[in-house]
Amino acid sequence: MRFIPQTGPNGTHSCRLSVRYVAVAAAVVAVLGAPPIGAEPVRVDPETGAATYETRAHGVSVSLTQLLPDQIRAFYVARGFDLADADVFADACVYMTVLRNDTAPGEIDFRLSDWEVQHKDEVRPLPPLDEWLAQWTARGVPDSARLAFRWAQFPSEQSYAPGEWNQGMLATGLPPGSRFDLIARWTIADQTYEGRLDDVRCTD
Amino acid sequence: MFVAPIKRIRAGLSVLPALFLCFGTVGAVGTGAAADLPPLSHRLTVIEDPAPAPPLRLEDIDGVEHDLADLKGRLVLVNFWATWCPPCRREMPSMERLYQQFKERGLTVLAVDVGEDMDTVFAFTGQLDPAPTFPLLLDTDSRAAQDWSVKGLPTSFVIDPEGRVIIRAVGGTEFDDAAAVEQLMPYLPKP
Repeated sequence: MRFIPQTGPNGTHSCRLSVRYVAVAAAVVAVLGAPPIGAEPVRVDPETGAATYETRAHGVSVSLTQLLPDQIRAFYVARGFDLADADVFADACVYMTVLRNDTAPGEIDFRLSDWEVQHKDEVRPLPPLDEWLAQWTARGVPDSARLAFRWAQFPSEQSYAPGEWNQGMLATGLPPGSRFDLIARWTIADQTYEGRLDDVRCTD
Repeated sequence: MFVAPIKRIRAGLSVLPALFLCFGTVGAVGTGAAADLPPLSHRLTVIEDPAPAPPLRLEDIDGVEHDLADLKGRLVLVNFWATWCPPCRREMPSMERLYQQFKERGLTVLAVDVGEDMDTVFAFTGQLDPAPTFPLLLDTDSRAAQDWSVKGLPTSFVIDPEGRVIIRAVGGTEFDDAAAVEQLMPYLPKP
């Protein structure tokens, strides 16, 4: 798990500058202690077995806790989904996600459309909220149930001042049993930061 | 202003079993033990350029209409929440404590439930300690939440006596924490 600040615009590269960049990059890697580590859960719920993966750096923290398929089904059937419709979402490797600006040096902005999952050497975007909502409309899910779905999801975009955070559902769209890396991105004052949670497991 | 919703008791009881199931499900999500819960925030975000608050006129769970425009001269905490939202549930008792502490000095709390019906909301309130005595408004189609540019729940705003949004709090917040109270104190109407 590691967080990587991505540097701003590049100017004309002289050889000397390149050397300088390499040196700076090496220093950053050294400071961050950055070789990716196969993630181990920070905790496992003793009752459900659901694992939580978490990382924090540069004042921002992100955590994923798998929502087991039965939990997803119970939540959405109680809110007006048919079991068959709830099953569709339950099988999409869904995580309770918390992203928090603890002590970043300013307000962070993110859009989930900038986030990715890496699975079996393939990098893919997260399924967008609009696609889920369109699917529920096509399947005849009641309005009130679609509304519950929309608000229970992790926000599609958001800004957090230091101290602010959200908690919500995030579907990877991967099949149950998958192992994947989550790549989260956000900006602070036009500088993009990238955070990774490596080797997250989706229990089926 | 707010009348205890006695008439909702019978209706609320009928949905309790289903509600407990939902709470059990969501409450177990990612928690395991209380120590594992994400910490509530203890600070508020001051808005640098306060702007007039969007309109807010909704009925509460007893069918009584509340209009933010009628609350000029008071400090108003507007909270968007839902019963299934774990940080919303956790922060609500702190709002009640804050309300009890400062209502005589001009603080009003309006808690706007997003997307649920009155029975669901009423049944939920019985589980809170202390139970909320401020109005619980119903934004059943989430139009108000959208008008206020709410992107995730809970999100709260503080409206000053002139009707401007001066503070926001995104994510669960311990509103009666000393640090948060210190931020609110300067905006309370003078006695």
